[in-house]
Amino acid sequence: MSAQGNSLPKRPLGKTGLEVSILGMGGYHLGTVEKQSDADRLVHQAIDAGINFFDNAWEYHSGRSEDLLGNALKGRRNDVILMTKVCSHGRDKKVAMQQLEESLRRLQTDHLDVWQVHEVVYWNDPDKIFAPGGAIEALTEAKQQGKVRFVGFTGHKDPRIHLKMLSHNFAFDTVQMPLNCFDATFRSFEQQVLPELQRKGIAPLGMKSFGGSGEMLRNGAVTPREALSYAMSLPVATTISGMDTPEVLNQNLEIARGFQALDKAAMQALRDRCHAYSGDGHLELYKMTLKYDGPIGREQHEFPTEEQLPL
Amino acid sequence: MADGTAAIPLRNFGKADIKVSALAMGGHHIGDAPDEKIAQRLIDRAVDRGITFFDNCWEYHRGKTEEWMGRALKGKRNGVFLMTKVCTHGRDRVLAMRMLEESLRRLQTDHLDLWQVHGVVFENDPDLFIRRDGAAEALTQAKKDGKVRFVGFSGHKDPAVHMKMIGTGFPFDAVQMPLNPFDANFDLSFERLVLPELNRRGVAVLGMKPFCGTGEPVNKGILTAEEVLRYAMSLPVTTTITGMEKEEALDQNLRIAQGFKPLSATEMQSLRDRVRSQAGDARFEPYKVSLKFDNPEARMAHDFPLDMKQKEVQEMFGAAMNTGKPYPKLQAQ
Repeated sequence: MSAQGNSLPKRPLGKTGLEVSILGMGGYHLGTVEKQSDADRLVHQAIDAGINFFDNAWEYHSGRSEDLLGNALKGRRNDVILMTKVCSHGRDKKVAMQQLEESLRRLQTDHLDVWQVHEVVYWNDPDKIFAPGGAIEALTEAKQQGKVRFVGFTGHKDPRIHLKMLSHNFAFDTVQMPLNCFDATFRSFEQQVLPELQRKGIAPLGMKSFGGSGEMLRNGAVTPREALSYAMSLPVATTISGMDTPEVLNQNLEIARGFQALDKAAMQALRDRCHAYSGDGHLELYKMTLKYDGPIGREQHEFPTEEQLPL
Repeated sequence: MADGTAAIPLRNFGKADIKVSALAMGGHHIGDAPDEKIAQRLIDRAVDRGITFFDNCWEYHRGKTEEWMGRALKGKRNGVFLMTKVCTHGRDRVLAMRMLEESLRRLQTDHLDLWQVHGVVFENDPDLFIRRDGAAEALTQAKKDGKVRFVGFSGHKDPAVHMKMIGTGFPFDAVQMPLNPFDANFDLSFERLVLPELNRRGVAVLGMKPFCGTGEPVNKGILTAEEVLRYAMSLPVTTTITGMEKEEALDQNLRIAQGFKPLSATEMQSLRDRVRSQAGDARFEPYKVSLKFDNPEARMAHDFPLDMKQKEVQEMFGAAMNTGKPYPKLQAQ
């Protein structure tokens, strides 16, 4: 972009010294494309447009998301900040370290920029992660070995579970969570967790700006521009969004280029408008149902499968 | 007792000078009995053996359980403490009063001993309850009209929602909630977070889901039926409501309840300790972490999704004989 006002803004990733684009590319949706060339086109277009933060997880589409991204990043690995997530779901350090090796191989790299514990959504996950021999020790070891530069965790269920994770005072560099204009007034990560992260200097990574699968847009309560602008105006490092077609990618890029944060009044107006729909969480199914809880986590926690208990 | 067994203990209903049996018959499972004759036999037997507290709900099996219970209690109405619930799920006073008339007609009585707001599970339910023209006004009106003696609410989701409901300041006589050893260990525990407050206020506490609503802890051999039910009945509650759709289940629970002596504090702690490792993620309490126990009626009122292809929803619709359209009978009037 020639005009600076039209480029994709960057922000500091907490205290890491890295700078990330305010829009990040979600890894789950990348895994839904038909073929490698589709993934290549999306990833290359994103990088060319200034997106430098790429999200993924060991368990997305049984590894396909990492495979697709690894291939697409060939020759461009050093242009991006690469994150993936470990899916121990309460299992021990050894499982976590094995998954790290798999993720590195699939992503065709010798190190990750950010490695996060995935899907901390069950109430006893923090206890299991911080138990002796738990996944938290893998985070420390991987960092010591230089295989990951920074570490964090993610979850979509309840701010109280996030606060339980943070209560251990582990030196997380990043924390990922749903942040949108509906969350703002319901079981709110924005109210309960975001200020705590700011106090600790941990980089907040926002996600589910449209409700996880566009639930908030289909309802007609907000437009994509309003929803994404709200999320990106919060004090976050980046907003991770699933973009599985060039159309969605372009739509989001258009909003993010030269982005100016909404002012207080505009933010409050959006919160007020969404409040009528937010009070019972029916547009935030990831908080209220099992719909967004993946199969491996369910298995580890001996919950019924998606087929047996979809919601 | 003719068979030489002791009676089921009676306990005070909150601050009222009324006694009810410490074991209560759940209404939903009555509708799971194979036919009305069997349901009637179960209710007869329960009354004969000393159960005086009967639970029901406007929306259980689309009214079938209220109709069956109404006919089964003919001639016995005055010997029992009859409760049913109103299913506004955030909707207004007028709807609540129409549901009350339907419940009274189905139950063949001119008054209820206890009328409760059903399924207070979503975080805005308390706001919708207490708002102008909300269901709270129906509870007050029905009491004034002499159609109900006492009022309360019920829910299975989150202690915070119960506390918000209590925080509305509405004078509830009774509150119903899940109480079992798994609940006691989980972060979202009704026993730890709600029960003490109700005891302080002298509100009648109605325990439910002693078997976790599914019977799974017993089916999987983690605890025996006796351990589970004795745990729930040993808490400071007025009664424990449990579903008994088979004679064997009824007899089993009667055996435990007759001559019941509460467990000691040490025995209670030992039961809690035994299930601790399986309680932390609520795998045995699906009513707290999924929509599984949220009736289609509640989901529809709150615009939660109902995917007819999903097995769980099919089961729920099948059980409730629900057409997917709200209130067909009321709309026809």
